[in-house]
Amino acid sequence: MKLTYPHMGEAYIAAKAMFDDLGIESIIPPFSTQSTLRLGAKESPESVCLPFKIMLGNYVRSIEEGADTIVITGSCGPCRFGYYGPLQKLILEDMGYDVDMIILDPPREGINKFFQNIKKLSGGESHKSFKVFLSAYKVCEQIDKLNEIQYFVRPRAKDKAKINSIMHRFRSQVLYAKGSKEISDLIEKTMDQLLTLDIDMEMKPIKIGIIGEIYTIIDPFSNLNAEDRLGDMGAEVHRSMTVRDWAENNLIKPLKREKPYKLEKELSKPYLPVLIGGHTQQCIGHAVNYARSGYDGLIQIYPMSCMPEIVSRSILPQIEKDYGIPILYLIVDEQTGEAGYQTRLEAFYDYVENRRRRQSSSKQAQST
Amino acid sequence: MSIKIGVPRGMYFYKYYPFTKAFLTELGAEMVPSPQTNKEILDMGSRYCIDDACLPVKVYHGHVQYLKDKVDYMLIPRLTSVVPREYICPKFGGLPEMVKFSLPELPQIIDVEIDLYKRKSNLIKALYAVGKRFTSNPYLIKRAAAKAAKELNIYENTLLQGCLPGKYMNETDIPVSNNGPLIGIATHPYLLYDSFINMKLLEKLSNKGIKFLLPEMLDKKVIEEKCSVLGKRMFWSSSKDLIGSALYMMDNSKIDGILMLTSFGCGIDSLSIDLIERLGRKTYRKPFMVITLDEHTGDANFNTRLEAFLDLVYRREMM
Repeated sequence: MKLTYPHMGEAYIAAKAMFDDLGIESIIPPFSTQSTLRLGAKESPESVCLPFKIMLGNYVRSIEEGADTIVITGSCGPCRFGYYGPLQKLILEDMGYDVDMIILDPPREGINKFFQNIKKLSGGESHKSFKVFLSAYKVCEQIDKLNEIQYFVRPRAKDKAKINSIMHRFRSQVLYAKGSKEISDLIEKTMDQLLTLDIDMEMKPIKIGIIGEIYTIIDPFSNLNAEDRLGDMGAEVHRSMTVRDWAENNLIKPLKREKPYKLEKELSKPYLPVLIGGHTQQCIGHAVNYARSGYDGLIQIYPMSCMPEIVSRSILPQIEKDYGIPILYLIVDEQTGEAGYQTRLEAFYDYVENRRRRQSSSKQAQST
Repeated sequence: MSIKIGVPRGMYFYKYYPFTKAFLTELGAEMVPSPQTNKEILDMGSRYCIDDACLPVKVYHGHVQYLKDKVDYMLIPRLTSVVPREYICPKFGGLPEMVKFSLPELPQIIDVEIDLYKRKSNLIKALYAVGKRFTSNPYLIKRAAAKAAKELNIYENTLLQGCLPGKYMNETDIPVSNNGPLIGIATHPYLLYDSFINMKLLEKLSNKGIKFLLPEMLDKKVIEEKCSVLGKRMFWSSSKDLIGSALYMMDNSKIDGILMLTSFGCGIDSLSIDLIERLGRKTYRKPFMVITLDEHTGDANFNTRLEAFLDLVYRREMM
């Protein structure tokens, strides 16, 4: 059995750590590129959302490298993600690829099936898989830390090319690291390298929070590296959802019988009192949270025709008014052009920075 | 004077019209439905609604905007789930919010949540929550609910026998022809019965002497059975109706062709239609056409495509 899984930002690092520890051979799909997307888009339904197309491209690329089993998580609505698996399997069959697909639906959809899948994945050693899962979760925590260092360092660094080369080296080395131990050592090393860079501590960069649909904010290919672009302009970004955050709320908290996404649900209550699917409540909750923590601007990123995020998109203007925080809405699909995207990010950066300067000068004028 | 409650003619209006009407009238309120969609309503909808919402949501915004100065309350129920363990679509769940934050100066909204995902009895709670606004007598609410359920049952049976909602509501009547080819139309009720956004499709077909079969004319059991070919349980009731009826239409040899209407940006349809094509194409060879509607759809190109489809159906008959 040669496993593969779709890309979603840094998720491949944690997945690799987990499968290495379990001793299962896994193939990381080649990093998503325009040609991956073109390949996926050609075979996908025309108006399906972007993640579907990228994932399908990932599968085909992995199968070409010899993978024969695909593993993905599932859900049962109301977002379209829950039906990705069955349809993608049909498409792959029609394309002439005979692969096995393991869809990990949440346990409430049938506990037997869930354990069968886990057993299939762990090769019969279920007791070991729990320990392995925890160490993979630790890797996720480290990746989050690494990202947060990057968010802090990037706008302040004097030589931004150095960050890019450190991160590039990390991404190429991590493919050859084996198991969670080696991977976490490598992450530690990369963090140290980032921290020794020459940075300008006096600088007060504007702060921008990234909210929106989970896949498109986590996966840098789908959002055209929005975080790095903003960081290079001189903004300190923060991304509202990460792989660790997802794992904590969907896997760990239910086990501990805690309620997931408590803060987000509390904060989004005045705007959207109930769960309607996808990450709408989380998006609204994070927007309020960022606005209250003194962020200067927000960017909502979501794939074209995403059902839950369209609902949050219509609520966000009210938050804009209530908290006086500017929000940029970016919709991505396979047609998104780089130049137009960059222009919009730059315009937003300039606007937010100007706005902060005006506000602080009017505050000074008032106090004198 | 009784309280006026605005009911926008959009989304699941045609599915639950008799229920809403009977329930509100029985409680002593006056139900004020908005008129049939027209150019003005559609334009208002696309002006106020966010750009990338789907057509039915935009139309709904237009209807709310039309009604807002004419009524005391606006009924915008949050239809999270109408069948246990199945959702409809996230936009149905977020509809009150989408309207509330897009349209200014609305009257008070009755945004009761109807969520039968976990248990059916949640409907009773929801009905009491609405009823309490009009009367403090729980027996009155109970009576109204029972009457409403009865009306809905009659309505659904009428539809099952091939009657159109327009006839039931005494608004418009399309004479249904008795001979000619039979075409199956698989789509959502908000596109099928809104004759403005579907370019009077049903009327055009009837005038050409064509019979049609609609998803509402199919037994729920048939739909359920057809959906069992899917690899995973379908968790959207709207998609279940669509896939089940389309697969039934493909299977039934009396039906000469299948027409599907979808709105641009419909998330559910983007997956369902592809599933239908992939599951059905291998086995069946029947004319099958998908027409995507949006607020820019023109009458002329719609007719051209419809005629091309019908030509195909006729030609196959002759062969």
